[in-house]
Amino acid sequence: MHLIDQIVKTVDQRLLLVFFMLIVFSLALLWSVTEPIRGPYEDLDPGVPKSIFFRQVLWACAGVLMMLVAARLPLRQLENAAWLLYLSLLLLLVLVLVVGSSVSGSRRWLVLGPLRMQPSELAKIALIITTASILSRQHTVRRQIWPALATLFLMTAYFLLVLREPDLGTALVFPAIWMGMIFWFGISGVFLLGLLTCVLSAVISFYSQSVLEHAWPWSVYIVVLIGLLYMGRLRVLSSAFILLGNIAAGLGIPYFWDRLQDYQQKRIMSFFDPASDAFGSGYQVIQSKVAIGSGGLFGTHYLQGTQKGLAFLPERHTDFIFSVAGEELGFAGAIVILALYLFVILRGLDLALKSRRPFPAYLAIGIATYFAFHVVVNVAITSGLLPVTGMPLPLISYGGSNLLTSAFLYGLLINIDARSFDL
Amino acid sequence: MDHPRILRARIFRGVIWLLFTILGVNLFILQMPRHRHFKNQALENRQVSLPIKGPRGRILDRDGVILADNLYIADISLPLDALQDSIPDPTLSRLMSWFGLPEQETLARLADQQDRGRRRLTLIANASHTQYAIVEEYRQDLPGARVDARARRRYLYGPLFAHIVGHVGEVNQADLDTAAAGAVYRLGDMKGKLGIERALESQLRGRNGEKIVEVNASGQIVGSEPLWRQRVGPGKDVTLTLSYTLQASLRELFGERPGCGVAIALPSGEVLAAYSSPSYDPNMLTTVISPAEWERLINDPAKPFFNRVLQGTYSPGSLYKPVTSLCGLSQEVIGTHSVLEACYGGYYFGDRLFRCWKWGGHGELDHGEALVHSCDVFYYQLGLRLEIDQLHATALSLGLGKRCSDLFATEVAGNIPTAAWYDRRYGAHKWTRGIMLNNAIGQGEILVTPLQMVQLAGLLATGGEMFHLTFVQNPAPVAQPMPSLPFSDTHLRWVQHNLEQVVDVGTGTAANLAGIPVAGKTGTTQNPHGKDHAWFMCYAPADAPEVALAVILENAGHGGAEAAPVAGRWLHSYFDWASQNDEGEPVALAKDQGEN
Repeated sequence: MHLIDQIVKTVDQRLLLVFFMLIVFSLALLWSVTEPIRGPYEDLDPGVPKSIFFRQVLWACAGVLMMLVAARLPLRQLENAAWLLYLSLLLLLVLVLVVGSSVSGSRRWLVLGPLRMQPSELAKIALIITTASILSRQHTVRRQIWPALATLFLMTAYFLLVLREPDLGTALVFPAIWMGMIFWFGISGVFLLGLLTCVLSAVISFYSQSVLEHAWPWSVYIVVLIGLLYMGRLRVLSSAFILLGNIAAGLGIPYFWDRLQDYQQKRIMSFFDPASDAFGSGYQVIQSKVAIGSGGLFGTHYLQGTQKGLAFLPERHTDFIFSVAGEELGFAGAIVILALYLFVILRGLDLALKSRRPFPAYLAIGIATYFAFHVVVNVAITSGLLPVTGMPLPLISYGGSNLLTSAFLYGLLINIDARSFDL
Repeated sequence: MDHPRILRARIFRGVIWLLFTILGVNLFILQMPRHRHFKNQALENRQVSLPIKGPRGRILDRDGVILADNLYIADISLPLDALQDSIPDPTLSRLMSWFGLPEQETLARLADQQDRGRRRLTLIANASHTQYAIVEEYRQDLPGARVDARARRRYLYGPLFAHIVGHVGEVNQADLDTAAAGAVYRLGDMKGKLGIERALESQLRGRNGEKIVEVNASGQIVGSEPLWRQRVGPGKDVTLTLSYTLQASLRELFGERPGCGVAIALPSGEVLAAYSSPSYDPNMLTTVISPAEWERLINDPAKPFFNRVLQGTYSPGSLYKPVTSLCGLSQEVIGTHSVLEACYGGYYFGDRLFRCWKWGGHGELDHGEALVHSCDVFYYQLGLRLEIDQLHATALSLGLGKRCSDLFATEVAGNIPTAAWYDRRYGAHKWTRGIMLNNAIGQGEILVTPLQMVQLAGLLATGGEMFHLTFVQNPAPVAQPMPSLPFSDTHLRWVQHNLEQVVDVGTGTAANLAGIPVAGKTGTTQNPHGKDHAWFMCYAPADAPEVALAVILENAGHGGAEAAPVAGRWLHSYFDWASQNDEGEPVALAKDQGEN
């Protein structure tokens, strides 16, 4: 009780309130989605069992506890433990590929007796802390390229391991977080140029080989790039880095494309060309859009949403829970949820600016990026703006690992908040 | 605060606001201007994905006669809450009175379905046209009631092929839990439970599919063309080596008498007919069977569910005498024309008298005559010259004591005892050589299946140059030749000659056919539970064997008098059938083997 008193007194209480509001939204939506299906579709769709709701209640309790713990954690010790954290998660990510339990073809779970956990979720925490620790240590050094490259390397290790599970959605979170934090770090023009041209190289290579089925546009691109680098009078070392990065990206992309699962390739192709797979992954998006669209301004059928619009929407308690919100709570409810997240993200940005010490600032940026990426991508997928990939809505989607990760990061944000006033 | 940070925070904030605005505007467009469009789509016609069951493959006989196929039938079903605390809702009461269903019995049946966790209650399985027309017609007055079409397995000749074709049943929890099967089976799917249905499940099973259909607000499918997400894959047909004609004539010969018969083609080893009598109708296992009927079948002393061909274990009796002879000849303890002590109707071993089946005795016989007239006294003496393990080895080389095919999980191996087996059974050295007397005439602890006996007839007929027994033509099994026999040609020809004599002048004359030489062996086995079992095994034509047959009639009496005539009549119909087949049996077989 003393602990809670302390937290309530010292922290921004709005941040605390928003946390509980998101948890309440989560439980309210899960209660509704687990109501038995009634009416014409009742035996066409098996429904989601009520036990899902009760399990999430337990996870939510654990999440609140996790948030409180994170809110009181001494940040300096967290900074010191960064490498330990990074390496243990690296080990777990390797372990999950070896002994992980396989669900529909991908190994994402470690099973410890009654507990199942997704190391890839915890790895998000580890990446944020490690990156923050490295970038904040190098804060005053002028040559910024090395910490950037070091963190890029650490991030890529996580990214590749999670991609190997395979879990494309989760894997993409790592580069996203890294980019947010490195942006705050301030990257040199050369580094930015290198990164952008690498992405361009990958995209051109992908298009020329998958869509045009010729390699010459990419070859032309590389020749033009060499010319530009020469005319730009960059330092030889920088030019060499950029050129090598470009060639690696261009040659690597077809390799990664082949590494993608069939369904992932289909999803990406179907996004570029929706007609190609209208009833495969397109089906989910159509159902989701119908659900959101039929919600109108104030929504319909809370507690009976599954009767009309939502039957047959796969993953409606996990990745597609925002469609449930869209249908049952309408535009008003959906905007409230988006506003809550927006508040958290902008608050993180404020904290980064206010914080006197660099480490908490980077943490705040990492956490803000974490929430921003998850929310934007999840909502964009459910409303048909991005191809389907597994991406939970933090604190709202069903699932223990993501809820605990999000709660912990949220707690850290509150922690930084308290300190930024202390200091 | 350094200025770049403030600039970056501004850019960061700008990007976040931009992204959230895009999301918000998109939601606004979906939920406000296009709301009516989506609302209609949700209320009126919407696409749903329906699981579709892949039809199961058919089972055909060798001539293309369909033995098992699928029948599409309609069930009338109600939602779970049609019955609450044993009180029927108006729809259920109305249907019960319209269709004149006995109230108590019906309610008990539905309550039982509720207990078993069904998702809907099946009021009437296999509804008549009138019944489902009524439900469709008065839809408005019968909220909740629905007509569901479903495929039911149909066994066209019911009892005739029951023991070979087997039957299907609903998958159980264990099937669904099995990791490998999990992706394949869904709740309510059918799976082969016995016989060919079980053995060739992977071939017969259809692949479940999913289709997208448009349904309206009351759950009815509208629009004609389904859009497939995953196409249904029909199961593949299976063609048996059995022939409907030959199976039917075998059944006719048995009537309701308990026993069984099995016939194979030579040298292909293809099973032509296999009938276990009495049989049961597998169709009742795929529909609803009344408990009373079930009780009656389970308790029937004639054991209709018992598959005598594959699981019946009997003493071979005198059918074993060729085995004993071949053992004696190959061990060189006796010659083909050796003469032993004359038979006066019995033989003393110690102070115990072992009787010959012929009370008056056979007099003095040589080895060949002893086989033809099945003289027990001769074989008692031959048995005493042999070791139990020698006899065991000979029996095993002739396919006894092990399963004939891997196809059926239920097939049993029988028992051919060894010295070690007797040691285990009675304790070391607590048994005497007296067991050799019983073993020599195929009595005692020896147990064989009728399938092994027809294989034995085939092996003796072909001198071992035949293929392993098979029940299935398509998918074509890999034709594996049986291992060659460890006997000299002279000895085998001697056995073949004497088996022909059995039918010509010996105990099996009742199996004689005009114009076609038949070779065979009779057997009469003592049975502690009643009258003797009558055995007969044979092959024909004796000079160029193309068919072998084993028949056992339980508690019928003497093999020569009871079983041999059945075999003779079946062989007669076999040759009728073979002469009607244009291509002729051996040609077709040669072609099949060539493909492998």
